[in-house]
Amino acid sequence: MNPKRTQLFRELPLDGQALKRLIEAGLTWLRTNQQIVNSLNVFPVPDGDTGTNMALTMQAALDEISNSPERNFGKMAHAVAHGALMGARGNSGVILSQLWRGFARALDSQEILDSASLAQAFAVARDTAYKGVVRPVEGTILTVSKDIATAAEKEVASGQSDPWIILQKVVEEADASVQRTPDLLPVLKDAGVVDSGGKGLFFILEGMVRYGNGLPLDTAITTVQPLAALNFENTMETIEPGQDFEVVVDFRPDHALELETFYKNLQEMGTSIQVGEGDGMYRMHIHVPTDKLYDPIHYTRSLGTITKVAIENLVAQMEEIEAAKGGSRLTMAPVEQGQIAVVAISPGVGISRVFASLGAAAIVEGGQTMNPSTQEILNAFENLPTDKIIILPNNKNIILAAQAAAELTVKHVAVIPTRTIPQGLAALMRLAPESDFDEVASEMTSAMDSVESGEITTATRTVEIDGVQVNEGETIVLHNGKLILAAKTVEEACLGLLKSAQADQFELISLFYGENISRSEVNRIADVIRQKYPEQEIEVKEGGQPHYQFIISIE
Amino acid sequence: MERIAIVTDSTADIPEELVAQYHIQVVPNLIMIGNNSVEDGKGMTRKEFYESLPGMKFFPTTATASSGTYQVLYKKLFQEGFQHIFSIHASSILSGIYNAACVAAQAFDDRVHVIDSRNVSMGLGFQVLMAAEAAISEPVENILALLDDARKRIKLVAMLDTLEYVHRSGRISWAKARLGELLSIKPLVEIREGQVLSLGETRTRHRGINYLIGLMHKLGRIERLAILHTNAEADARAIVDTIKLEIRSQPYLVNVTTVIGTHAGPNALGFAAVVS
Repeated sequence: MNPKRTQLFRELPLDGQALKRLIEAGLTWLRTNQQIVNSLNVFPVPDGDTGTNMALTMQAALDEISNSPERNFGKMAHAVAHGALMGARGNSGVILSQLWRGFARALDSQEILDSASLAQAFAVARDTAYKGVVRPVEGTILTVSKDIATAAEKEVASGQSDPWIILQKVVEEADASVQRTPDLLPVLKDAGVVDSGGKGLFFILEGMVRYGNGLPLDTAITTVQPLAALNFENTMETIEPGQDFEVVVDFRPDHALELETFYKNLQEMGTSIQVGEGDGMYRMHIHVPTDKLYDPIHYTRSLGTITKVAIENLVAQMEEIEAAKGGSRLTMAPVEQGQIAVVAISPGVGISRVFASLGAAAIVEGGQTMNPSTQEILNAFENLPTDKIIILPNNKNIILAAQAAAELTVKHVAVIPTRTIPQGLAALMRLAPESDFDEVASEMTSAMDSVESGEITTATRTVEIDGVQVNEGETIVLHNGKLILAAKTVEEACLGLLKSAQADQFELISLFYGENISRSEVNRIADVIRQKYPEQEIEVKEGGQPHYQFIISIE
Repeated sequence: MERIAIVTDSTADIPEELVAQYHIQVVPNLIMIGNNSVEDGKGMTRKEFYESLPGMKFFPTTATASSGTYQVLYKKLFQEGFQHIFSIHASSILSGIYNAACVAAQAFDDRVHVIDSRNVSMGLGFQVLMAAEAAISEPVENILALLDDARKRIKLVAMLDTLEYVHRSGRISWAKARLGELLSIKPLVEIREGQVLSLGETRTRHRGINYLIGLMHKLGRIERLAILHTNAEADARAIVDTIKLEIRSQPYLVNVTTVIGTHAGPNALGFAAVVS
């Protein structure tokens, strides 16, 4: 017998460097389970994925400290909080950054983390997060933060002095609290899911504990996702070596799948492995280098019957995207010192061009999740030569990040809470760069409700919301942000929207088509609408947005 | 009592009966259609001009009357026995008229008072009218003071029916970037301190008209009002019928000069108001 054993991480003192490794562990575990968190989005729309937003926020926190030699736990926590705040994306990311901010504030410059200060830090984190939201809603990540703070306080009160034990209890409570979220928030119960933000927080904390206990973090072997949760939309920003091709194989195994072996064999072929299961059908997703292109196909064939194979050349795709970016430089409205400048968040190139043509001084593109980070928004503020700035978030999931960025700058910033692209356009049209700032902001706020907004997209999951039954893959219609209809075709969806919005009472219907619909289909649908609404002017414009076949403005 | 003559140019858009009543000297600007140079208001009515504008093969261009024209006019007026001349013109930022008049005035010491109205159309026209009314009884200094004060109380706002003409004219930098994206865009503009400023846009005419009416009601007490249009008389009349304002006299309805209309395009609507 060999008496020598490696010392577990949890037996080391919790100093600044230990926090760095914990952050990395939390992030890694969250990334491993990111698709699970993404699949919990209540709304079956394919953007604003909570898991991705939280992972990007944690990544920014880690980037902030990755080269830091800081040994002081409290000081390191402050750096984490700063990084998280700057990288905060989406509402869940902003709340997560507020949790870190409170956490760090409680610890001040404490050398080594102990149990009492850990409990205190969870308490202040909770308070800070609640204060960061205008109308806190229970059954969300906020509730989970409250429950874990209570659990930590209880442990300390009962004399627990090991911070690791407290963290362990916190993870258990986070898990239980997440399971209770549907009881507090009916919309979760209706959709049959738990809160995604809370679940993300649970994974971050669980990753830390797993690391402390020496457990692996890179593969969620035991958790196969439901097929609906798999999201292979290629949204990579860079391609690493060995990721030349994306291969997706649907197959039905002859025998029950040995998951551990299955993953192990796939890992020898490539990266970015995801596996989904539904009704005995499996879908496998992997990125492979050119010389291993057919390996995953041969391998899955040895396990059962293949029903479908899809191969995409990622390198060629990236080149195309790069070329498209280079060919579409925007002319932004020039702004001078003292004038009012508008920053608009845009989901696509065509919509960016429209915002620019209407006088926006800067565009922030949504990026991977369609949700830009606080830092990206802040950069846009800082780069403008004026200190009077109005921001149009144009998406309900970006409003908090915009408000966070507004608080970080010394410039005078007004956040107009536009929730859709048509609202953003209507608001921007009230821009008078030379006029009084408050007056323009208030005119924009009232103008944003002067249009009817429609969004047409494909449901990412099967769910019932607001009495509308939606099946995965159906075309769904959001009218002023509210789900009103699930349709079999995009045409049916468009007509359903126009009827709901009483388009025959208006003058102008503008259709912004996305990148996921062909020009001929756009023209065909526009002709159908022209015939049905002969009195209205119909304008068709390339929006270039992902996920949404159409964004429609009726005015 | 000194005799004072009032001179302006055809961008002032003053109704003809008032021009005659106050003996206002209006120097026509020139409009070039292809190779033909026409004096503003001669040979072709404004209605005819705006009807043919969208189909014109060549985009018309505009020119000011020469300094020489102004010099000849000033000389003639002095010979007729006037001791002073007020020569009031379109914004010097938008047109060379003011400059041409200034050059002409140099020959007459300081007996010609060239005024930059910092406005156009009836935004200029109201200043000319107020000067003409005062010139009957007031001395030069009083008229100068009166114009200084009036300039600040004039508001001119308009909705263009399209960006196309203002973009083609190339005079307004912000208009450049905005073309070519949304087709249905109706710019809202204000003449402020001599410049054309953007007040934003509207996408439907109906909403633009409501915006103009709303703005008129927010101005406070209005002393004089003109509803301006480029061949959109029916809409202009509808605005007059809709507004509920107490104004001393009936608002003027003005089909705007072709020199401005060339840049604004047909079917524009707006107002010029003198506010208390």
